[in-house]
Amino acid sequence: MTARRRVAITGIGLVTPVGNDAPSTWAGLVAGRSGLGSIMNFDASGFSTRIGAEVKNFPDDAGIPDRKLGKFASRMHRFALAAAEEALADAGIRPNDTSSRRWGLSVGAGMMGLAFEELATIHAHCALSGEFNPDGLLGKTFPADPVGFCRSQTNTGLALLTRQFGIRGYATTVHTACASGGQAVGTALKVMRRGSVDFMLAGGYDSMLNPVGLSGFCLLGALSTDNDEPTRASRPFDATRNGFVLGEGAGFLVLEDWDSARRRGARIYAELAGDGNSLSSYRITDSPPDGDGPIQAIEQALADAGLTRETVDYVNAHGTSTLMNDKSECAALRAILGGQVDRVAVSSTKSCMGHLIAAAGAVEAAVCALAIRDGIAPVSANLEQLDPDCAVNVVRGKSRPMRIRAAISNSLGFGGSNSCLAFRHPEEVSSAKAGAGSRAAAA
Amino acid sequence: MSGSPRILITGTGAVCGAGLGVAAIWDAIVSGRSAVAPLRQWDASRWPVGIAAEVTGVDDRRLVEDRKLHKIISRTDLFGLYAAGAAILESRLTMHRDALLDAASAARFDDRSGVFAGSGGAVYRCNYDYFPLLTAAAGSLQVFGRELSATVNPMWLLKNLPNNVLCHIGIRHGFKGTNACITNQCVGGVLAISEAAAALRTGEADRAVAVGHDAPIEPETLLHYQNLGLLSNAAVRPFDRERNGTVFGEGAGAVVLETEADARARQAPVFGEFLGSGCVSEATGIVDVRPDGDGLARAMELALADASLSPGAVGMIVAHGNGTRASDASEAAAIRHVFGTAPPPVTAFKWAFGHLIAASGALDLLLALQALRCQVVPGIATLSSLDPAFARLPVSSSPKKPCSDTAVICCRGFGGMNVALVVRAKAASGA
Repeated sequence: MTARRRVAITGIGLVTPVGNDAPSTWAGLVAGRSGLGSIMNFDASGFSTRIGAEVKNFPDDAGIPDRKLGKFASRMHRFALAAAEEALADAGIRPNDTSSRRWGLSVGAGMMGLAFEELATIHAHCALSGEFNPDGLLGKTFPADPVGFCRSQTNTGLALLTRQFGIRGYATTVHTACASGGQAVGTALKVMRRGSVDFMLAGGYDSMLNPVGLSGFCLLGALSTDNDEPTRASRPFDATRNGFVLGEGAGFLVLEDWDSARRRGARIYAELAGDGNSLSSYRITDSPPDGDGPIQAIEQALADAGLTRETVDYVNAHGTSTLMNDKSECAALRAILGGQVDRVAVSSTKSCMGHLIAAAGAVEAAVCALAIRDGIAPVSANLEQLDPDCAVNVVRGKSRPMRIRAAISNSLGFGGSNSCLAFRHPEEVSSAKAGAGSRAAAA
Repeated sequence: MSGSPRILITGTGAVCGAGLGVAAIWDAIVSGRSAVAPLRQWDASRWPVGIAAEVTGVDDRRLVEDRKLHKIISRTDLFGLYAAGAAILESRLTMHRDALLDAASAARFDDRSGVFAGSGGAVYRCNYDYFPLLTAAAGSLQVFGRELSATVNPMWLLKNLPNNVLCHIGIRHGFKGTNACITNQCVGGVLAISEAAAALRTGEADRAVAVGHDAPIEPETLLHYQNLGLLSNAAVRPFDRERNGTVFGEGAGAVVLETEADARARQAPVFGEFLGSGCVSEATGIVDVRPDGDGLARAMELALADASLSPGAVGMIVAHGNGTRASDASEAAAIRHVFGTAPPPVTAFKWAFGHLIAASGALDLLLALQALRCQVVPGIATLSSLDPAFARLPVSSSPKKPCSDTAVICCRGFGGMNVALVVRAKAASGA
């Protein structure tokens, strides 16, 4: 087989609880600034968890110049459109009439369909007694406007993004819960490598910070209930951690062929060097305590990228701050890193921006690229007392300046989908043989 | 694609209103029987469109035996788990794994076994679990939050995860390899199959199960499709002069894909070969399609190029044929663009079991294989008068013979999505 295509990250766009664009998000993460607080978007005072990581001061009409298109966009779609626009502007290249067929899209999309307000409307027309009567939908007073329906399709985000930017090549949308964003970026890498397109817009978006979304996680008991100390509530790897903090936002990357990016003089953040995927196939809610599942995903990503434990300098952990995830993930990291475990810096940026669910993996991929560019491992905030079960080299206290030759980012989803992405510093690329990684060798 | 392994189809599983298993569904099609009937899931006697092709008369435990599981999955998941389980059983994959003598080989087998799901998700119905709580809250969000845990099932979120089938296939059959859950509306199922094939070609896995599943028949979806002018109140009549929309179905289609080396080594049953795929967006927004069929034409061209085949080598086409005015017309234009004035026989299957949305293309692929194997391109039973605009499209109500052992399957969805797959009835060696 001919040498495998190398893929460059040339554009980044972010909308997160820490900042409404990539520069402010990154500055916030490096400074360890918390984006967590009391939930302001709705009255959460009756819920067991009343804190979250909200995107703040996000303009209602952001991201969509086309007003007709705009009415089909929900909050999470607006995050996606704004972050994608930033990424394309940052890359200095976007689809045009001649290139549109060679542009692709891969997104990890949030699962929320109906907005709470729409659900309340249906309730008022069809289920006031609590029992659902479908005929209520036929009543003259029911607002049977298909706009809400169009807004709630599983691929509405894809439809809006391809239309807005004129992307006419391969397009897909994936959902593996908290691994969605990572898997979307990994899928984009594969689509690029097999030559289906020459450019990919890859990312994720989500917003579950609404009454139904928050309810789902409250019911599962997965969220931190530290309502009085929101900025301390997300403390991955800490012995006293007690759940994650629900966030919202979007992250997008522009990916392009390495050689053509160099030829056009593009600024390259990093190489998107490898992808690994596995299923834990353990239990529906639980993570395997020994790290089985995540281990295979990380192994594959390293082999796919032609990396070894000796050449990885930074891990952006899934690090949700739940008891089980952090334990399982650290067990996997110890198994993978072996004797290098005390050397490799590990942090969870969820400590500052909360858990962005379907967007998390894509946002954290961008964080890895920025960490490589600036030579800074961002801080894992709020760690006071390291859990002995999480004995890895956590970036505590403040961010750590260090040259990062290669980084990996984990995303581990409900239901056991695991994603690991690997990134390489551009200056390390000349020393890595093209096409060094091999899937078969990973097996 | 040169240098990459051939991909064989070694197991099939299907469920829809027309029956359980490919053979039963095929029998309904060649007999001209449609499963479209008045709705049973709710009393739709007052509804302008009160028909669908529902899966009826099948005990949930026939679909998924484990009753405990029923409490933590939704209707679409029952279909997906049934079809995937049937495909795995037919492939004898897990029997093969369980006969491996050493634990290391078995563990490696699981790590090299992928799972790909195309999921429709449970968009509306799942939220109705909150209705009693909304009633109790009487407009107060504070009460809503306070009474939440006393009113709603703690497993609510897990029950409604779009990736449930993916997880539960893994847990039930032990597969732990590369995976994806594709939520790309109608094209989810076919993309699951093409991504599984891609993973085998690049060596990410040696085998994979791929399934498309959906249960779109619910009041809100019906209402809005109808308001968008997409539903017929009579029948799906692809390419007919009188066609006036689609009809919902529900169910799932699944395949097991294996590299040729792997399948041959264990003497697996072989039902066909995956040859290629193409996927493009028309960038037309949510429901619009381009009248010229640009996206579907490009998807078919990419799929044929991926399969290293010329249009002349194609023996039959399974059209998306959803029976709407715009989609069928643009599909005819796309077929004309790619295949010129003399395309191979064209058919479509949605008249028999409705539109399965995320599962539609996966089921179409299984029936294409069956058609090639039986050397019969079934007629479209609901086609009575071909739209004169499609005069030269070789589609009819009577059966024809495929021109070769190869079929193209078309699948289209919201978001301007167009996907085409190319399959062969059996491996070229005739095994």
